[in-house]
Amino acid sequence: MHADHDVHLIDKKLNLEENTCPNREQRANGINVYYGPVTDLIKDARAGNLKTRERKFQQSAGCTLNFYLTVRISSIREAAIIYHAPVGCSSSSLGYKELFRGIPASMGRPDFDLHWMTTGISEKDVVYGARDKLRWAIKEAQKRYDPKAIFILTSCASGIIGEDIEGAVNDVQPEVKAKIVPIHCEGIRSRLVQTGYDAFWHGVLKYLVKKPEKKQEDLVNVASMLSYTWQDRIEVTNLLKRMGLRPNFVPEFATVSQFEELSEAAVTAPLCPTYTDYISRGLEQEYGVPYFMYPSPMGFENTDGWLRKIAEYTGKEKEAEKVIEEEHQKWGPKLKAIRKEFEGIKGNGQKVEVLGALGQGRLLAQLPYFDELGIKSSAALAQDYDNLILEDLEKVVEKVGNFNILVNTFQAAEQAHINKLLNPDMTLTCPFQGTAYKRNKGATRVHALRGDPMPWSQQSAYAGAVAYGNFLLQAWKSSSWQKTMMAKTKTGIKDWYFKQPNPLYYLEEEEV
Amino acid sequence: MSSSEVNEKTLENPYPEVQEAPRYSCSLAGAYAAVVGLYGSVPILHSGGGCGIGQLFGQFYAGGENAPGGQGGTSTPCTSLVEQHVIFGAEDRLRKVLKATTELMEGDLFVVINGCVPALIGDDIDAVVKEFKEKTDNKIPVISVNTSGFAGNTYTGFEKFFDSVIDQYLEPLPKQKYLINVLGVIPFQHVFWKGDLERIKELFARIGVEANVIFGEFDGPAKLKQIPAAELNIVLNPWVGHDTAEKLKEQFGTPYLAFPSVPIGPKQTTELLIKVAKKLKIPSAKVRSVIEQEERKAYRNAEYFGDALLIGLPHAYTAVVGDSATAIGFTKYIANEVGYLPELVIITDNPPEDKRPEILKELSENIDCAVKPDVFFESDTHKIRLLLKNNRSYLVLLASSLEKHFTPEFNNALHLSISFPILDRAIVERSYVGYRGGTTLMEDIIAKYAGPL
Repeated sequence: MHADHDVHLIDKKLNLEENTCPNREQRANGINVYYGPVTDLIKDARAGNLKTRERKFQQSAGCTLNFYLTVRISSIREAAIIYHAPVGCSSSSLGYKELFRGIPASMGRPDFDLHWMTTGISEKDVVYGARDKLRWAIKEAQKRYDPKAIFILTSCASGIIGEDIEGAVNDVQPEVKAKIVPIHCEGIRSRLVQTGYDAFWHGVLKYLVKKPEKKQEDLVNVASMLSYTWQDRIEVTNLLKRMGLRPNFVPEFATVSQFEELSEAAVTAPLCPTYTDYISRGLEQEYGVPYFMYPSPMGFENTDGWLRKIAEYTGKEKEAEKVIEEEHQKWGPKLKAIRKEFEGIKGNGQKVEVLGALGQGRLLAQLPYFDELGIKSSAALAQDYDNLILEDLEKVVEKVGNFNILVNTFQAAEQAHINKLLNPDMTLTCPFQGTAYKRNKGATRVHALRGDPMPWSQQSAYAGAVAYGNFLLQAWKSSSWQKTMMAKTKTGIKDWYFKQPNPLYYLEEEEV
Repeated sequence: MSSSEVNEKTLENPYPEVQEAPRYSCSLAGAYAAVVGLYGSVPILHSGGGCGIGQLFGQFYAGGENAPGGQGGTSTPCTSLVEQHVIFGAEDRLRKVLKATTELMEGDLFVVINGCVPALIGDDIDAVVKEFKEKTDNKIPVISVNTSGFAGNTYTGFEKFFDSVIDQYLEPLPKQKYLINVLGVIPFQHVFWKGDLERIKELFARIGVEANVIFGEFDGPAKLKQIPAAELNIVLNPWVGHDTAEKLKEQFGTPYLAFPSVPIGPKQTTELLIKVAKKLKIPSAKVRSVIEQEERKAYRNAEYFGDALLIGLPHAYTAVVGDSATAIGFTKYIANEVGYLPELVIITDNPPEDKRPEILKELSENIDCAVKPDVFFESDTHKIRLLLKNNRSYLVLLASSLEKHFTPEFNNALHLSISFPILDRAIVERSYVGYRGGTTLMEDIIAKYAGPL
């Protein structure tokens, strides 16, 4: 299949006439599996040799709808979300009423209300179609919530029965005040969950972003991730404020108006480049909003670069340098102290090793940051890989040297295996990754979540680099939970798997 | 507004499945929750790749912030189907994942659960499973549950799981005296399942009855196998589990007794014990002695919270929101034992029409209070919110965590999450069942308002 692909990312025009985006597999030669030195991965990517392959043993780790879109899009304010799906596809959104509620109003959390509905596609619908039902649901959402936008999220079931989503939307739009935004995130469409991001941004670009009425020279679009906490927002907001700029954080917890005005911004800056990619390109193509992909504001050097890049597009070079200098003065000594403490942990001049499970964005940002902390990464576990990050990955390798990479779409058994194999001093897990935390050494979270208001949970910029450094030092002080759980509970996986050396034991040879 | 008026209003909706945040998931999720709650068994999702991780959030975390362990969530084997399987079929994919799973994962029973994709493309998973069983020399036990996302909800999926167990796994056994099965409690959906089932087992042990609670036991598959040996099935739900009980009656001749909920507090517990003891012909002196001891202790303990109750928040109007069983159990306890006034009950699990009169009867005739609750059957969270906002007097709101942050709209009522979804409490061993359960509930309620007296 890959013969059709460009070797590198497809730098073609985004076609907003289409109902949806191409899949990541097609757009950027995305793959779901790889294991080996990152330099080999880069070589294969350059040579056009990347392959998507099936696993004979696979675990449930996400589709284009679940869980990234369900749990994130349900937090868009002034909107209603309709899952055109069987009732189970949206159950992960049952936390929507509680999202962001833990943040005190004194920290700038506004009043808000969130709404989502399901069409509950039933047996009858798969026989007779559910178009009328969808139209009714859209009108009902308008009546109930008077939203500014209604997002329609599709599912495997709506896809397979061939629902004409655009037809229903076009029929009903004249009767509905809210802008209707269909998003094609049928779970079956792609093996890579990041296709879901692109599908979401495609809908936003096609239906929601307005033509700029005026240019807002001080507005910086920032697409934030699930893992960026409220403190990260505050931190980034304050840094930009000192440069005379304002962030426009989308999509989570954004208002519909914030999407509409994406076109008026001075620049689109990444917190996670591959998450932001599609909207960044689209905003440049359609409205001339410039963007950059690298770096993200994680760690000192990355944050320096991030601020300087933003300054370049906003004419705030002097202001940026001033902020950078002040921040280095304020936080630099603290980072140094953390580094010293990490150096002392082994006491023999050797660095401590961590193994982190990351998305592509963190892969690029976190390794240089760990380098600053004086920590070594035994290897990197990446959720997936695509050529959107190829050049930036090469830069990272220049900076931190070669390392092993396991591209593994959150496969829990593979993660447990590589953790046993490499036995790092600290495992950094995302909270949703099985039993890899049961071990004789440490394990902690790779990041906190958006609803977390605590200062120690932040990771962004200089303050965040210090906060997470301290957080990690704290993690080193006890592994009683990890050891106890390892001793007293099972993993459910048979021992033979861990006794053989290949985490990808069940990988199919041939390309799909 | 009477309940019949509102029911008529809900009929205006030509598409009742279109709703905000119903408090249940799909039928795949119901079967999946059962298998994850059945220790020793391994679920295999024959579905899109997001179905397990979706339920990690929507069924397990929502079931009292529970991590589902080494077989649930991202640890669950899944065929992770995509377009090419839709076009070319997914049976071969299932064969491979099934084989690899039985090699790699520890388990005494493997359960293939069908999602939307194979159901829509017409894959014959039963045939694949049968072929696998016949081919393997070591006779690995595998069953298939032919659910799909669109064919029902958590409740019907749970029932489908037992259907498959009965058809594919159980064999007749000689009846064992004083052995009963406990049905109608869905792991994770009934958020307090672990604590409740353990207490129910201990409770029956006091009167010499062995209760096979099936879920949360380390030898889950063996517990399933034991089902036909019971001399009685008890169903602790006004409708869930009844089909299973009927089917067990047909297949193995086991009679069943239905009780409308897990028993919360002494009165319901005594009632259940007497009913079951009578059916099993256990000498009444023995049962009476157990009841006397337990009640004496329970009510001695009730004296301890009495002052905080009577001075802090006595005879409060109360609203209860939850599935039928939960709503009945809690409403009866607060009305019949601590003198709260049950103003409003909203039932969220869409019980079948023919079971509704019985539910309404429980919530009227069996309420010992001048106030009888207005009862609504409503699963749409938007409408539930409107019902709760509607000029009410209640000051205590026993509901789900969906209501937690809206109490300013709800008379600023004291809120405690007692029904699915519960994302604001970790519920692991917590239970309100049995003689001690009422006191535990009052501890949790009083903790929300208590201060120096």
